[in-house]
Amino acid sequence: MSPEVPPPTRRAVLRAGACGLLGAAAGGCGFMPAKTPDAQQLAPVKARVDGDLVYFNWADYVDPSVFKGFEKEYGVKVVQSNFDSMEGMVAKLNAGNRYDVIFPSAKWAQRLVRGGRLRRIDHSQLPHAHAVFGTYTYFADPWYDPGSAHTVPFTAYKTGIGWRRDRIGELTGSWKDLWSDKARGKVFLLDDRDEVLGMGALELGLGVSTGDAGDLDRITTLLSTLRPRLRGFSSDSYNNLLNGNAVMTQAWSGDMAAMLNQAKDPSVFGFEAPREGTPINSDCYAIPWNAPHPGTAMLFIDYMLRPENVKKNIEYIGYPMPVAGTEKTYAELVKPFPECLVTQDDLKAGLFFRNGGRAAEDARDTAWTHVKAG
Amino acid sequence: MALLRHSSRTRRRDATDTRMWTWFMLPGTLWMTGFLIASLVLVAVLAVGTTDDLGNPRFGFDLSGVRALADPAYTEVLVRSLGYALLTCAICLLIAYPVAYTIALHGGRYKHALIAAIVVPFFANYLVRMYGWSVVLSDDGPVLRALRAVGLADGNTKILNTGVGVVAGLVYGFVVFMIIPLYAALERLDVSLIEAGRDLYGGPVRTFFYVTLPATRQGAAAGLVLVFLPAMGDFVSAQLMGGPDQIMIGNLIQDKFFQGQNWPLGSALTMLLMLVLLIGMFGYLRRTRKDEAEARR
Repeated sequence: MSPEVPPPTRRAVLRAGACGLLGAAAGGCGFMPAKTPDAQQLAPVKARVDGDLVYFNWADYVDPSVFKGFEKEYGVKVVQSNFDSMEGMVAKLNAGNRYDVIFPSAKWAQRLVRGGRLRRIDHSQLPHAHAVFGTYTYFADPWYDPGSAHTVPFTAYKTGIGWRRDRIGELTGSWKDLWSDKARGKVFLLDDRDEVLGMGALELGLGVSTGDAGDLDRITTLLSTLRPRLRGFSSDSYNNLLNGNAVMTQAWSGDMAAMLNQAKDPSVFGFEAPREGTPINSDCYAIPWNAPHPGTAMLFIDYMLRPENVKKNIEYIGYPMPVAGTEKTYAELVKPFPECLVTQDDLKAGLFFRNGGRAAEDARDTAWTHVKAG
Repeated sequence: MALLRHSSRTRRRDATDTRMWTWFMLPGTLWMTGFLIASLVLVAVLAVGTTDDLGNPRFGFDLSGVRALADPAYTEVLVRSLGYALLTCAICLLIAYPVAYTIALHGGRYKHALIAAIVVPFFANYLVRMYGWSVVLSDDGPVLRALRAVGLADGNTKILNTGVGVVAGLVYGFVVFMIIPLYAALERLDVSLIEAGRDLYGGPVRTFFYVTLPATRQGAAAGLVLVFLPAMGDFVSAQLMGGPDQIMIGNLIQDKFFQGQNWPLGSALTMLLMLVLLIGMFGYLRRTRKDEAEARR
């Protein structure tokens, strides 16, 4: 990829687009009784070439030259396919599709682990894993996968506010900025249930994943006061800022960092991580229980953790990765937006979106309908 | 005698023909049964099902999805979608009729090329075209720039993220479905009827309303159905061109399946939408049956 072609946003609007149909079609297969993995299918495997790599991730979430290097070094091919939502990914897995390496977010990793869908990963098979677990102690025993027994962290990021400095000047560093009269009619929220409800919860000092009916009522009431100022719900944050449709938008830190490559003059943009707290998220590497080539997947994960590859990927996608020795690369990349950095303290603040029970999820779902449909 | 034998042979050939066509229809029928009817049945069953922890739909009998439909938010969104779809139909008809008329009756040897020029861009992915359209309608896009230049818009005028934007997107997306059946109807139109109208001292306007329009109303009806059905279920236009107040029923269904993983409620909403669409379809079928009966008489 040449430098003038910017990396596309990872969760760009496509996630909400026509692929929904495809996902729904694939999801229909979920009616089939899911096979239960046996002990052997969940046991860790040695890192060794046992076939081509079947790779399943967000589109454009790894530098293509990294793939090329992997193919060349191990003499295998990387067979790529992409998903556009976590739900779509899990629907494909449930339907019995087989992949060697997948990239669930923390919340989804937990669901997959609980459901017995992931093969355990033996860290001693990954010579470069020490750079992650040795320095980023948080990930040695994360809430979503005790002992990181089934996952290795890939990226970590937060959600904040991106805005146009040239149109509305400076902000105050609070989620209240979204209510600013200067941005009236030009504010976007992410088209994402958890992010929007989580933002309301943080503003009210509630838990980001609350499923309590009273809490959710307060959140929807608060967000209804934001509605008249809203221009829309869209996860295409950086394009909305670039083309001027938005002067302020809820945004993922990685997308804002990726935007820096594309903006003619980055100084007209800003990114803040509000002081009430920002939702934190992490994507990880994982190997499904039915992976046809788990050994190659192990080699791939280790290959991806080599510092030179981590650096390439950071520069390509704009998301920070918890790998010791690459902090400078990211800090350099986001110099204009230092708040994109994710520190160990950010991780420990526990502002991850957690899985709730069915009743809590349904309550959040209803709240989201009311926020969205008004 | 010879006549008799001839006719019996014809009858036999008719029978073979029918049997052959039955065989030809088999794959299509199987396909429709397997993938359309069966999946519809699954959606209906799932409307009273549940979802497990991994997001897998599970059979069962649980009415919470159906009961949730009572939330007035859904009625409001359904009525809004209905309004957008009807408006889209009306605008498509107004745009498509002159286009189809001009091509069919005045296209001459360029007829097919003109139709191709309309249909070919349609082969491009719908989502990509809608993306492009959203750029065209954006605040700094060519449409608003042109309107500002001639003083029809000021700095605050918006098209994107408004109802106008959504309907514009729907019209842009589905107008071809109106042009094609209208073109087919106008192609078949016996021009001598128009001449006869003129001969009977009908002006162009009266001839149009008394002769041309009634003779092509089946094409218009087909076009209206072809535009109405996808417009009603569309979620891309509201997603890309709409704002917070333009959410359509398709967007809610999509959210239920994806963000909420509330498959039962998503299925219940789908069934509700189908019910509304079936009423429209039923009206169309009754209308065409009446037309056919009249034509036979």
